[in-house]
Amino acid sequence: MKKLLLLAALAAAVVSVAARSAGSADVTHHPLYMPNTQNIGNPALQPPPVCCAPAGPPVAGEPAPVNMAYFGGHVQVTPKIYLVFWGWGEPGAFDHVTPGVPSYDPDGAAARMTAFVKAMGGTDWAGSQTQYYETDNGVNVNIQNVPNVFGGVWYDNTNPIHDNVSGLELAQEAQRAAAHFGVTDLHNSQFVIAQPQKYNEAGFNSGAGYCAWHDYTQPQYYPGVQPGLSFTNMPYVLNSGSSCGQNSVNTGYYTGRLDGFTIVMGHEIEETITDPGAEDVINGVNLGGWYDYAAYENGDKCAWVGYTEGIAPPSTVPGGLGTMKGNDGKLYPVQSLWSNDSAGGAGWCAGAGDDLPVTG
Amino acid sequence: MTRWSLRKLVLVATAAAVAAGAGLANAGSAPVTITTPVSGSTIALHSNPYTAVAGTDSFAAATPGTSRFYLRRDGCGTSNDNPHLSTATGTDGGDGCGIVLNAVVGLGGDVDQGAFVDYPASDGMPLALDASRTATGAIDITGTAVGAVEVDVSLEALVGGQGVTVGSTTTTTVLDPTVSDNPVAFTIQPDASLAGADLQGLDLRVHIHGPALDAGFVGLSGKSWVDMPSFSASVNKSVAISVDDATFAHPVSARLDGSTWSVAIPTPAIGKHTIYAESTQGFATSAAVSTTFTVKR
Repeated sequence: MKKLLLLAALAAAVVSVAARSAGSADVTHHPLYMPNTQNIGNPALQPPPVCCAPAGPPVAGEPAPVNMAYFGGHVQVTPKIYLVFWGWGEPGAFDHVTPGVPSYDPDGAAARMTAFVKAMGGTDWAGSQTQYYETDNGVNVNIQNVPNVFGGVWYDNTNPIHDNVSGLELAQEAQRAAAHFGVTDLHNSQFVIAQPQKYNEAGFNSGAGYCAWHDYTQPQYYPGVQPGLSFTNMPYVLNSGSSCGQNSVNTGYYTGRLDGFTIVMGHEIEETITDPGAEDVINGVNLGGWYDYAAYENGDKCAWVGYTEGIAPPSTVPGGLGTMKGNDGKLYPVQSLWSNDSAGGAGWCAGAGDDLPVTG
Repeated sequence: MTRWSLRKLVLVATAAAVAAGAGLANAGSAPVTITTPVSGSTIALHSNPYTAVAGTDSFAAATPGTSRFYLRRDGCGTSNDNPHLSTATGTDGGDGCGIVLNAVVGLGGDVDQGAFVDYPASDGMPLALDASRTATGAIDITGTAVGAVEVDVSLEALVGGQGVTVGSTTTTTVLDPTVSDNPVAFTIQPDASLAGADLQGLDLRVHIHGPALDAGFVGLSGKSWVDMPSFSASVNKSVAISVDDATFAHPVSARLDGSTWSVAIPTPAIGKHTIYAESTQGFATSAAVSTTFTVKR
């Protein structure tokens, strides 16, 4: 049954790819957004559906059904995640200090994100995605759940940041990061460009309704930037409060203050691992990895599942927001990720410690 | 059912001044001196495999006291609501702010709209907590409220960058409808594991519920507050020394004894050396001092 579903999805995808590639990619392209809790299902924040979507937009707080299909692009088989804290130490990056905490990270967000990336390798959460693969010369090569996916961290206080940075500027920073780290294996590398409290990406600041996004550099979309960079725009999501996850798992003021950072960044990291090409179709070639008919990726399909504005714990809903037990033994708030294998092959959100009883 | 309301604006003269102790835990760390080895002295390696290093310190005394934090609010239900704790008081734009509890239930019933308000401290940090004594305070229920109200108060702190529970309590009070203010007193015993902790942040969460009518409005402008048991300075004190490295990359901890400190280190190799020392109290580290001496055979 599972195989049948996948084949059907793939067939539909082939049709739709042709349709999408016939149009102007420049016009239709935008990054792959993670809507905030107020904009779940907002069509303005999703790419065009791949095809005759069999289901409507996801119901807020519930998983988005139908399994994902493989669209022919690469995945990150042995991912390496590079964290860039751009401008966190530059003047005006924060409007407050905390005693005993570095002035360039007064809320501990950078420390939390760094610890999360170091701890996510080898976990059940990351392991839920090893079912996905890329096909190389007819051979399926699955994503590996390696114990160390941390590529490095860079506090870049040399290249000036400013408020309302553009996507192009973020891509340029990703290129600088690739050079800084000496990255040569772009297929398996991704760059998270994290911004400080007072200097964020323009769309996030404008209230467009998203918490973050990821994308893939191509000359059409990011002129002058090295092609083939998978990167994430990671704003200072605490600025959006509960809309981007604050206190969505842990209810205490301080214990839940940073929940959104790992939930949102984890969403983007795992989407990049399974779809580093960000659904791009260039000259008729689909660079995308895994997503569904509605162009929802593994993170989109499970975003904010179980979230009830604090009325009830989200983890009481199977696949709801929960925690990842890191390889350091600590718990990190995360959202679940779509697993085609769960629910006996029908698919469900998994990996956040609150899976359905029947999982793959 | 639920609405935010500025019940009334109460002008209250500035109440008591900031209590002693608030925000003093980070008072600048006192200077440290090195008395041994004497600067310019010579030490013979063959007869002194270890070198005594000693000096004086003058840490600030950690006197028990109380740090008062007032519940404050800049605007009721607005984008400038900003509920917070402050060691300073005054007239609050959000005085009388709250949630209407407009259902009446019988004895034993509970009107609970699930809402709480966090008041994180905007000043007064760090705070050297004295966990052996209780935190006390009052949440003022303002207006012509009727019935029995339950006030849940919980304190959470930021310690070492992590959120930790200080303690919580629930107080039930029968409201007097003939007065405009019903202060509900509370007492919280801090978690013993936080003894001597230097708090980097403090949050007070208030949750009002119970079989009452119109009882969800909190009086501010000096009428609601919490007294935190504290020390005037951190009880966490240390002196570290470093040999030939002003960055203290590999510090050696000294033993404190009143106003002096000492430590024995393996005598360094023959040649000229500099020993650096610095003291730390809470989050404050003193300027480093140094002494230079020569080791001979």
